[in-house]
Amino acid sequence: MNAPITIARQGTGMPQPIRQSEEIQKLKGTLLKDIQRSAYVYRVDCGGCNGCEIEIFASITPLFDAERFGIKVVASPRHADILLFTGAVTRAMRMPAIRSYEAAPDPKICVSYGACGCGGGIFHDMYCVWGGSDKIVPIDVYIPGCPPTPAATIYGFAMALGLLNQKLKATSHVQGESERVKLRHPGVPAELRVLIEREARRMAGYRMGADIADDFLGILGTKSSESLEARIQEYLAKENDPRLSEIVTNLCDISMKAIAAN
Amino acid sequence: MLKLFKTILKTGDATLKYPFAPAPVCDNFRGKPEYTPEQCIACGACAVACPPNAITMKARPEAGTHTWELFLGNCIFCGRCEEVCPTKAIVLSKEFELAVGNKADLYQNATFRIANCACCGKPFAPQKAVEYAIDVLKQTGANAQVVEERRKLLETCSDCKRKQSIHAGEMIELRRYLDEGKDA
Repeated sequence: MNAPITIARQGTGMPQPIRQSEEIQKLKGTLLKDIQRSAYVYRVDCGGCNGCEIEIFASITPLFDAERFGIKVVASPRHADILLFTGAVTRAMRMPAIRSYEAAPDPKICVSYGACGCGGGIFHDMYCVWGGSDKIVPIDVYIPGCPPTPAATIYGFAMALGLLNQKLKATSHVQGESERVKLRHPGVPAELRVLIEREARRMAGYRMGADIADDFLGILGTKSSESLEARIQEYLAKENDPRLSEIVTNLCDISMKAIAAN
Repeated sequence: MLKLFKTILKTGDATLKYPFAPAPVCDNFRGKPEYTPEQCIACGACAVACPPNAITMKARPEAGTHTWELFLGNCIFCGRCEEVCPTKAIVLSKEFELAVGNKADLYQNATFRIANCACCGKPFAPQKAVEYAIDVLKQTGANAQVVEERRKLLETCSDCKRKQSIHAGEMIELRRYLDEGKDA
């Protein structure tokens, strides 16, 4: 049962990823063209943080219900059609992962799940990490995310089974001749902008603060027949959030002081 | 039994219709980082902030280019790039359908030109970053004369700036020490 597994090595002595023979690839193609049965999933943990596992199980709960498409998580690789590799492939989990790959019957679909599976994620440069499941087995579908949401998981499964098409494409841009960056909020003096951004970030944190400052500067910078106060009141009434009201009142004070000083 | 059926009918269907209908996504959802290369000044703040090094910057001074690259496979969708971007060239969208069959489709890149120092002619900073600095200076309300004076400064590399400030300033004594250091 546990026959020794021999792995081809490169010239440098590093093990090569396992390759699929052409016959098996052809077999997989014919299976995917006319799949008339459930697809069973076995998840292979190659040293992940368990975040991905939680999302996989979230996607088979009644709310997302992957089982209505016949996608079922099974307990043994010998039952599996789809192998889900999660985790960054640590040195210790590499052989168990290869073993479960060998144990699954052909034709099998391999899926790289999560940021760690796709390229090592946050652990990509650690000494004991192989950096992605494509370094050990042939991968058919990559599902990025940290972890992927249940909806992204279902989309990935549908792509693996050839039911949905890929949306993402690689892009490449080369700087044009007269390419120039647009300044943000050109109507507001730079010093005032800095003061407002600083105060908003102090009160609401870095990301939300930047969003609030952006909204406020947008209102401040646009010219309108209505008074500034009326427009801000309108904005606050729309958002209806006492925390936002307090922050924006502070921002108003700062801008009034700056305008009075000039 | 009938009561049970009534309850079931009243409760309705909890399962989401996805993938047949779009999945509901909350307001602050952090999905695929949407990059606008036209708005990017190639300052590299995102590459420094990125925890898993999904965003990288590579300078090729011999070719006069600076390349920004995002590998979505490593991205953990933390939104730090959005936080630090001074021009909002990168913003996290609500897109989550990112699965690909080919790993190459997870890469995005953009190439920018590097400006040469006005003094020594060596490449020193992305051209768009220099132009942006001048534009911000104009926005502060500086008059045309000041902008022209500062432009020279902004288009000069730090090495030349140091030398020039020693030449032009009244710190001639300092220059002597600099030359002595070179001889030693």
